[in-house]
Amino acid sequence: MPQFFLNKRLIILLVSIIILVALIGFSLRDRDRLTWPEQFVKDTTGWVQTIFSRPAHFVAGFFENVTDLQNTYDENKQLKARLDGLAKLEADVQQLTKDNKELREILDKQDTLSAFKPIQATVIGRNPDRWHELLIIDQGEINGIKRNMAVITANGLIGKVKSTRQFTSTIQLLSAMDPTNRISARIEGGAKTYYGTIEGYDKDRELLKMKRIPYEAKIEKNQLVMTSGLGGIFPRGLPIGKVVEVVPDEYGLNQTAYLKPGANFYDIEHVMVVKREMLQPDLGEMIDEKEEEL
Amino acid sequence: MRKFLLPTIFLILFIIESIFVELLPAELFNSANILVPRFLIIAILFLTIYGIRNQGIIYAFIFGLLFDIVYTEIIGIYLFMFPLVAYIVSKIMKVFHSHIVIVTVVSLIGVALLELSVYEIIYLIKLTTMDFTSFLQLRLLPTIILNLAFAIIFAYPLKRTFEKYTAAITNE
Repeated sequence: MPQFFLNKRLIILLVSIIILVALIGFSLRDRDRLTWPEQFVKDTTGWVQTIFSRPAHFVAGFFENVTDLQNTYDENKQLKARLDGLAKLEADVQQLTKDNKELREILDKQDTLSAFKPIQATVIGRNPDRWHELLIIDQGEINGIKRNMAVITANGLIGKVKSTRQFTSTIQLLSAMDPTNRISARIEGGAKTYYGTIEGYDKDRELLKMKRIPYEAKIEKNQLVMTSGLGGIFPRGLPIGKVVEVVPDEYGLNQTAYLKPGANFYDIEHVMVVKREMLQPDLGEMIDEKEEEL
Repeated sequence: MRKFLLPTIFLILFIIESIFVELLPAELFNSANILVPRFLIIAILFLTIYGIRNQGIIYAFIFGLLFDIVYTEIIGIYLFMFPLVAYIVSKIMKVFHSHIVIVTVVSLIGVALLELSVYEIIYLIKLTTMDFTSFLQLRLLPTIILNLAFAIIFAYPLKRTFEKYTAAITNE
């Protein structure tokens, strides 16, 4: 067998397969931070991406504006119809906000789970191979972005921050196939509020899956789903989507709801990273205590 | 100046892939078909065939690593597959005469090979649940067509650039 082991190419191939497996294993670990060479490379390319993406978006925006002009007449009609209801809605909102504030003052409870500070960011890159649904944005740690923060557009939640560098960060969309991507959510609009977790995405139907809803819950179509704020990092009340269908889960113990996401996962240019104002509980402590009890 | 020619071309293609996916019209994006731009590997394969083979493999290695770090955050897949595809294509080209049509077809075979093996690895580490038949229909076929369009448009300019570059290097 000496000849077999002397074959240089074969040895190179075998060694590189070992390195491949080791590297994939290393990067699939639940990493808190990227290593510093990765951060350096990503920040440097992020800078180049910014230079390229600004003019590209400008040109694309121009063509989009031209196509928008063609729909203006129809849109204007629809918007006018909705305008009548708007004045009343606005008055109601003002009244309610005032009431809410006054009541809070009476209760002496200032902090809420729903208070948040948005950080504006622009998308400068998207993963081209489309196995991983990742976006790169032009704001990083120096702007106050941390891992696992919620990311929204004007229409609703789109994902969370996967990793951060000094000047850029990576967002993982809700449509990514990642079993660790879970968000505590609640269904509103019915007689009772029900809680569940957003887990997974149905690629064919383009619907989000909300699992672990109690079996006795009565949920109708078009009920709103929002974040609950109980996960510890996301604020309360970020819109996620609307219920399309509810089915019992595979063992019949819980229900699974299919949601139509409010935000479009494709046409994303500007996003907001959401920083919760209320204190974040230290999850590490909670888990340690539990383990001691066991 | 000549020193920076190749890195600049590859870097621009590297960034254009991401911008292409970002700006792809929503109708194309929302349809079940998945179009993946593989412009970078096509250019690298052209360099491997028309330029110096080892240089092509080295660029494949560098840009594979860059692709992994910047876009996927899983190091290893493209780092391994880019050079391997470049190597296999260079072996295939030993059999054929390097006519531009044949080179285009062979580089598309390289793209198909890359897609296929990346799918296998991603499937193995359970980042997708897509089955093989829908992968072929929804992903591989549209990707090949998109990259065929790119290869047809840029085959001649790429060939000229790399041949000129190689000639200049060997003359020195």
